[in-house]
Amino acid sequence: MSLLIRNARIASEDSTSLRDGDVLVEGGIICSIGTGLSAPEGAKVIDAKGRLLMPAMFDAHVHFREPGQEAKETIATGTEAAINGGITGVVMMPNTKPAIDSAPVVRMVLDSAAKNSRIPVYTSGCITKDRAGKELAGIDGMRGLGVKMLTDDGDSVADPAVLLRAMQYATEFGMFFASHCEVPELAGPRALNEGVVSYRLGIKGTPAAAEEIIIDRDIRLAHAAGAHIHIQHVSSKVGMETIRWWKQRGDVKVTAEVAPHHLLFTEEDIGDFDTHYKMNPPLRTKADTEALLQGLIEGVFDLIATDHAPHTPFEKSQDFVSAPNGITGLETALVSLYHYFVATGKFGWDLVVKRYSAEPRRMMGLEPVPVEEGKPADFILFDTEAETTFSLDFMRSKSRNTPFLDKTLKGRVDLVVLGDQVLLER
Amino acid sequence: MPRKDLLDIVSLEREEIDCLLDQAVPFKELFTRSVKKVPALKGKSVLTLFYEPSTRTLSSFEVAANRLSADVTNFAVAQSSIVKGESVRETVETLQAMRTDYIIVRHSRSGLPSTIARMTKASVINAGDGAHAHPTQALLDAFTIKEKFPDPTGKRVLIVGDILHSRVARSTSTILKKLGLEVAYLGPGSLVPKVGPENVLRFTNYEEAMKWKPDIVYLLRVQMERQDVQYFPSLREYHRLYGVTEERLRRIDGEGLYIMHPGPVNRGVELCDGVLDYSRSLINDQVENGIAVRMAVLYWLKPGGEVVG
Ligand SMILES: [Zn+2]
Repeated sequence: MSLLIRNARIASEDSTSLRDGDVLVEGGIICSIGTGLSAPEGAKVIDAKGRLLMPAMFDAHVHFREPGQEAKETIATGTEAAINGGITGVVMMPNTKPAIDSAPVVRMVLDSAAKNSRIPVYTSGCITKDRAGKELAGIDGMRGLGVKMLTDDGDSVADPAVLLRAMQYATEFGMFFASHCEVPELAGPRALNEGVVSYRLGIKGTPAAAEEIIIDRDIRLAHAAGAHIHIQHVSSKVGMETIRWWKQRGDVKVTAEVAPHHLLFTEEDIGDFDTHYKMNPPLRTKADTEALLQGLIEGVFDLIATDHAPHTPFEKSQDFVSAPNGITGLETALVSLYHYFVATGKFGWDLVVKRYSAEPRRMMGLEPVPVEEGKPADFILFDTEAETTFSLDFMRSKSRNTPFLDKTLKGRVDLVVLGDQVLLER
Repeated sequence: MPRKDLLDIVSLEREEIDCLLDQAVPFKELFTRSVKKVPALKGKSVLTLFYEPSTRTLSSFEVAANRLSADVTNFAVAQSSIVKGESVRETVETLQAMRTDYIIVRHSRSGLPSTIARMTKASVINAGDGAHAHPTQALLDAFTIKEKFPDPTGKRVLIVGDILHSRVARSTSTILKKLGLEVAYLGPGSLVPKVGPENVLRFTNYEEAMKWKPDIVYLLRVQMERQDVQYFPSLREYHRLYGVTEERLRRIDGEGLYIMHPGPVNRGVELCDGVLDYSRSLINDQVENGIAVRMAVLYWLKPGGEVVG
C-alpha cells in the first residue's frame, strides 16, 4: 500500500514546534517527507490540512482481563479500544485469572494476541506465583517468551525479602520490576484517599503514606539489588518527590509513570459515592494533582500510562465500597491530555510524544517510532479542531466505566496507521 | 422542589431543614391528644429494611409511619448483609414489585442507601449507613436543641467521643453548623480525624474543651464493634479521659450545661450513673422528638422520582 498524507503538522519528542509537510508511506515505511510530494500510482491520498501527524501512542499499563474475566474485556476488544485512542502497542498487566505467572499462561496470552489483535501486545509477568507474594513465579520461562517487566500489579509484594531476592535473581536476566505501591495494612477497603472526602462519606480511606512507604521501600531494594525499578501510577505529591530524590542521587535505575486520571481528577469528584471515580491508588487532593502535573513537566515521570481497568456496568453499579477499583482509559487518554493540557498550554505535543509514545517503548526495549524518513509507519492523525463524544457507540472497550462517558472533549483521533495497514480512519 | 429521598444532611438547604423542623412541631403536639393518628399517608406503604439491628430507630420509624396511617412492613432481611450489587438490585426489584412508596434502610455499608435510591422510584430514607450519615438523628437533635434554644445561633455544642466512626457526629455537626451553631470535637487523637469538616474546633482534653464554654455536651456512643483495630487502650482509660465522670458531671451541672446522647448509653463509659437523674439531660427528649421528626420527614418526601441506575 502507498499512502500520501498531505499538509500535515508533524509532532516529535525533540521539538516544541511542529513541522509542516507531506508524508509518503510505501511498504509500511516512511519513505519521504517533504513539500509538494506527488502521489504514486494507486496511492491513498489524505489531505491532513492542518491536522497533527504524530507517532502512535504506547501504553505500558493495561488490564485486558484475559484469561479469566472476559466479560470485562478481551485482548480483542482491549486492543480495538487502544486503536480507537491512537495507541498501537500495549503492555498487559498479569493480574488475570489465572495470573500470568509462568510460561504456559504467557503463551496463552501471546497466542490470543497473535490471533485477535491488530497491534503488538506485550505482557508483563508476575514476580510471585499467583501474585501471592510468597514463591517466585516462573521467571526464566516467561523471559524465554519475551517478558521483560515483572510486577504483581494490583498489590505490592508485601515481604521485602521476597522482592529483594526476586530482584537479585531476575536482574541477571535483563528483566526489570514494576511496583504497585501500597501497604495493605494502611489501605483500608482501597476505595478512596484518606482525607476530607473519606471523612464525609464515612469510609475508611487509604492515606497517601500507604503508597509513599512502598515507593521508597522498593526503590531502596532496587538500589540494594542493582535492579531497574519502575514505579506505577503514582498518585501522591510526596511519592513524586521521593522518586525525584532518588533520581537525583543517580545511583539506582528508577523510572515512573503517572496516569491521566491522577492528573485530572481529585477525591472531590467522587461526590455522592460515584464509583466511576473509584480507583487504586485513589484520587487524592488538588495539591497532589498539581504536583503530579509539575512532576510530569519536569520529567520526574518518564511516562504516561492509563492503568486501563475495565469493569462491567453491573460491577460498577454496586455500592461504593463493593464496586471494583479502576476506570477504562485507552480511548480517552490522548484526547483528554490534549483537551486539558495541550490546548490550555500546560505542556506541548513534544511532551505527549515523549512520555506517551517514545519513553514507554524505550522502557520495553523497543525503538521509538518518530515520523522520520526510513522509519516504520506507526503514527496517527489528530484533529485539534474536532471533538470527541465518548458515547456508548464510540467506545470499543467491552466496558464503559469511565468518568468521561457521554462527555465531549476537544480533539479527535482521525487516523491510525501501523506498517502498511490503516487501522482506523474517521 | 420536593425531594424523593433523604440520604444525608449535607445536601439539604437551610430552608428545607427549617421546613422539616417546623413541620415536626404540630406532629409533636399530636402526641398529647387521645387520638394520635392523622390520615396523611393513608394507603401508602412504608417498608423498613434494617440490616443492622436497632430496636430504637426501627420502632421510632414504625411509630412515626403508623401515626401517619401508612401501612408499615418490616422486610425481613437475612442476617448476612447485602453488599454485592446483585443482591441489592434483587432486593430493590422485589420491593418495587410490592409497590412500596417508602423504603427506610439501615446498613453498615456507607453509601448503600444512595445506591438503592438510584435504583428505585420509592422514597429512600437513610436510617443510618456505616459511618456516613444518619439524617433523621441530626434532625431530631436539631429539633431538641431548638426546643431549649429557640434561636440557637451562636450556641456551642461539644461533641465527645468516636468522631471517626460516628455517622451521628457527621450528620449532627453538619446540621448544627447549617443552623448557625458552633461545634467542637473532643476525643482521642486516633478517633478525631484531623481533616474533618472545616470550622470545627478540635480538643484533646476536657479542660481545654470546657474553657471553650459549650452550652451542650453531646456524648457519642463508643462503638466497639465498629473498630477494626484498637483505637484506645481500654474502656476504663476512655472513661477517665473522655467520659462524663461524677466529677465532670458536677462541673457540667454547675455551669448549667445540657447533655445529649443518641443512645443507647454505655453506662460507665461515656457517662457515669449519675447522669440518669441529671435534670438537664435531653436524652429522653431526643427519643420522643425522633418520632415527630420522622413523621415530618415521611410527610415531606415525595415518592415517584426518576430511576437513574
Ligand atoms: Zn494497576
